[in-house]
Amino acid sequence: MDKSTIVCRCEEINIDEIETAIKYGAETFDDIKRLTRCGMGPCQSKNCIGPVNEIIANNTGKQLKDLPLTRMRIPVKPIKMKVLVTDIENSSIASVLAESVDEDGDNR
Amino acid sequence: MKTDVLVVGAGPAGIKAALTADRAGADVILIDESVFLGGQLRSQTQYFSNLPKNIDSGLGIEIYNELENQLNNSNITVFTNHTMVGSFKNGNIGVSNGEKVLEIQSKKNILAPGAQEEALIFPGWTLPGVMTAGAAQILVNREFVRPGNEAIMVGSNIFALEVALLLQQCGVSVKAIIEEQLNIQCKDTSKLGEIGNIPIFTSSRIKAARGRGKVEQVIIETPNGENELYVDLICVANGFRPILEPFEILNCEFTYKKGLGGWIPKYDNRFLTGNPNCYVAGNAAGITDLGPILLTGEIAAWNALGEIGLVSSIVVDKKIKNLWVELSRLEDEYVFKERLNLINNTSAIKY
Repeated sequence: MDKSTIVCRCEEINIDEIETAIKYGAETFDDIKRLTRCGMGPCQSKNCIGPVNEIIANNTGKQLKDLPLTRMRIPVKPIKMKVLVTDIENSSIASVLAESVDEDGDNR
Repeated sequence: MKTDVLVVGAGPAGIKAALTADRAGADVILIDESVFLGGQLRSQTQYFSNLPKNIDSGLGIEIYNELENQLNNSNITVFTNHTMVGSFKNGNIGVSNGEKVLEIQSKKNILAPGAQEEALIFPGWTLPGVMTAGAAQILVNREFVRPGNEAIMVGSNIFALEVALLLQQCGVSVKAIIEEQLNIQCKDTSKLGEIGNIPIFTSSRIKAARGRGKVEQVIIETPNGENELYVDLICVANGFRPILEPFEILNCEFTYKKGLGGWIPKYDNRFLTGNPNCYVAGNAAGITDLGPILLTGEIAAWNALGEIGLVSSIVVDKKIKNLWVELSRLEDEYVFKERLNLINNTSAIKY
């Protein structure tokens, strides 16, 4: 396939960039993510993870079952910081972000 | 906010789990990120007959309507447009509608986030006019939009053929069905008869899609050489993959089972995951058909009810036994075998 074919459409990463990352030692999706930003856009790798794993498998000879899952973190879906710190008294997530609340209690 | 059972995802598995728990007297909260309930089922116009014995055969939308009817006559608290965004240190689940975060404290969680369609890349796949088969189905059945005039379908599983037929019914000319494998994947011979005159190219794949700002042309590689077709719609049915984010957030373990769709949360014969408060149901527990999806929701719910203490373990055991028998009857043989394989290897989940 043409190496300029886009794999991660959010961050516009193509096959060539992923294969280059593999040549530099990337073995997993997370390695490629950290080297190229692949999978770090709005969809958070929901589209590209399958194709990327196939490219890794084809380039390394590994089987798909031997490629580890990518790390998934909170928030599961994109969410405004403002929303994350609402209802501050009842939210332990908010404690992490408490410094961003000004004296009037408005979330910044 | 407190409840006995929190169900995440209001597709068929989630709704069935919620209804089962509600009828046994549990307080139930059912959340879904969409403004609509029913997941893909409410957009499905294909006919389903291989269903659990208490559910009538019908079109997807008819089966959904019946489930919605039952929801309306229940005490279930439903939050649409609410997404699970994370969990709190104390194990409570954070749910947001984009305006504020609700903290839900539940005795048991049933996670039924479903599956997503697997992407397929080829030069030109990012052009407007390339979409998954599921997206085409939503456009037609939910939004009443015809997604194109001349189309090809990539993939020959039953879902691909159903959507190809749907497109034809709305006046889209389906010029070809492309299958990478040697054989057509759909095992339903009557469905193959229905698609009749659409040419099927096996051992074939898309070489490239071309066009200025949208799909105008597709080049197909077949064993007999290259084929150029003028189309404005490329539908991709490249299979499904379980949605895993909620399980990772709740510290469930994962395993790889090809026959169940790849990486899935580990679970035992009660559909209990590696987190002792979290059950899994539906396609997230392995890609399967509507009948088995509904059964997994029911199995998870009965087990949750038993653990909460709302139903005696004798009743739960009896229900579960019958549901497993029904599951073995309805489910594709290979998928069921993979499921048993998974369960037999996960009896040792430790808490």
